[in-house]
Amino acid sequence: MNTKKLITRTLFLLFLVTMLIAILVPFFAFLATSLYSSSEVYQYPRTMMPRFTYDMKITWEDDMYQLSVYEDDIEDYELKIYTNSPEKLRIYLKKQYSVQLTDEEIVADFSKSKDGTAVYMQYKKDLLYNFKTFFTITSNADKAIMNSIIAAGWTILISLSIGSMAGYTIARYRIKWKKQINLSLLIVRMFPMVAVSIPMLVYLIRMGLNGTMFGLAIVYSVGNIALTAWITNSIFQGISVELEEASLVFGANKIQTFFKITLPLAFPGLVACSMYAFLAAWNDSIVALILSNSNPTLSLLIYKAIGMSGDIQLAAAGAVILVTPSLIFTFIIKNYINQLWGDVKF
Amino acid sequence: MKNKLKQFTPYMLLAPALIYYIMFWIRPVIKAVFESLTDLEGSLSIANYVEVFKEPVFAEAFGNSMIFAIVSVILQFVIAFMLALLLNKKFKGSNLLLFVALIPMAVPPTAIAVLWRTAFSSYGWLNNMMQKAGLIETPIQWLTVRGKSALSFLILIDTWTVLPSVMIILLAGLQNLNKEYEEAGYVFGASRWQVIKDITIPILKPTIVTAIILRMISAMQVWLIGVMMFGFGRVPFLVERIAYYSDVVPLLDNSYKMSVTYSVVVTVIVLVSAMIYLKLNSRGRKT
Repeated sequence: MNTKKLITRTLFLLFLVTMLIAILVPFFAFLATSLYSSSEVYQYPRTMMPRFTYDMKITWEDDMYQLSVYEDDIEDYELKIYTNSPEKLRIYLKKQYSVQLTDEEIVADFSKSKDGTAVYMQYKKDLLYNFKTFFTITSNADKAIMNSIIAAGWTILISLSIGSMAGYTIARYRIKWKKQINLSLLIVRMFPMVAVSIPMLVYLIRMGLNGTMFGLAIVYSVGNIALTAWITNSIFQGISVELEEASLVFGANKIQTFFKITLPLAFPGLVACSMYAFLAAWNDSIVALILSNSNPTLSLLIYKAIGMSGDIQLAAAGAVILVTPSLIFTFIIKNYINQLWGDVKF
Repeated sequence: MKNKLKQFTPYMLLAPALIYYIMFWIRPVIKAVFESLTDLEGSLSIANYVEVFKEPVFAEAFGNSMIFAIVSVILQFVIAFMLALLLNKKFKGSNLLLFVALIPMAVPPTAIAVLWRTAFSSYGWLNNMMQKAGLIETPIQWLTVRGKSALSFLILIDTWTVLPSVMIILLAGLQNLNKEYEEAGYVFGASRWQVIKDITIPILKPTIVTAIILRMISAMQVWLIGVMMFGFGRVPFLVERIAYYSDVVPLLDNSYKMSVTYSVVVTVIVLVSAMIYLKLNSRGRKT
């Protein structure tokens, strides 16, 4: 009996560990890739941990610096480049090993080898090198980040103001066609937004809004107004009307009651709605591709970056920047995830 | 007078949403249908649809989108449901697991694609690990796969992304479930399987139905992961064709018409399959 229990326990634990590994290993390997230097990316096989330092040996032969780098797999220094130009060395160290040195530092360190003895140096890798490079090679990366933030900001503003009003109304008033309104909100959420964005292009051009983030936000808000209405509806239903009535009895007017009682209680839900709106705008790429291809958002920029260059570590760095806010916001709103999927009864 | 005004208040609060939907949802959709049904001169014709259906890649794109949606949704739900049943008890580390399970869902689609590119490129971490473990001798060229195996690749990636979150939703449903129903089942001598089949699933059904339908709809619109892993055309999807006409060849005479027509086709397919699913579902409930 006890052995049987032990076996199920072990199996259960084994299964848990497998699941954790299946999720975490790809994620960490991806994070590690964003920290690799160019030489690490093409090293095969390599260890998963990114390197932090490089051990180098510099000798002076034939009037040239001979730069060797210690390689773990052969357990020895391997000659990489020989040149007498400090500038060449600087570029080589930067491009291959993400080691950032100035010409002066190189001359100061390397010239010690001129008396015939080998110089051993340990250089720190610039861990943020890929991130910096991502901004310099894709010249519009900082603009793309701003674009994403602006588009998300407009989406939050539009969908929160219009959507929460609708959600409040559905929750608090006796209105006709309540069922139909709820159903249509669901249909909007299911509706493929590509079908809206292509004809919207024509309207946006006519309004002079094509390629602007406000134009993108108009499309993102379509689905998000429905989602916000949906979530706020259930929030306001959860806030007891008696509290509001008590406030009215004590002499507050309707507006005061709304701002002093209802709104603070609904606040966490409204924050969750804004984060959903943020994520919808931040994560999208097809709407941005159709409506704002020449003025990309960060997500669209990364989509383009992977097509252009073979430097996977740079794309990974960009993707890490993209992931960070999404990850933070998803964890904040995790308690609302069930509401996103909804307990609708058909 | 005041009473009359009061009666109108809710409708005034709903008006902005209504106007927004007429302006930016109904109007573009009508325009899309209209544009897809007229030729470049503006006269009514079904030429666009003929052109879309005659495109050699259309059948493949349609098939891929359907296979992707059906297989990935079934796969994800069956596994997620089994996991949720298994995990539906308090154990050490359950909070940690739920926390970790949120990660794949939080990663934006473009970053998911980059993540799996770092895995499957020939010097990527997957080959590296397998080599270190002694499983392979030379790097496997994962990204050269074609056809159905490329499609199954994408299904697996999608499953990695979505499975944990589906599991969390089902788990939340299970934990809100009133335990007494299940216990009553056991008291009357039902087996575990019978309790799951006849008590747990029927009570959870509304959650499951909504979750499946939302998953199915977004699965039918898959495109990005395919393009970012394999480039355009290797594993064509319906929405991928729209992206193709907007991104790769935006300046052809018929690019706009083609993408509009494709978008109408996608919408019709999505809505029709959602309706079929709901119909099948409600019929199943009656019997």
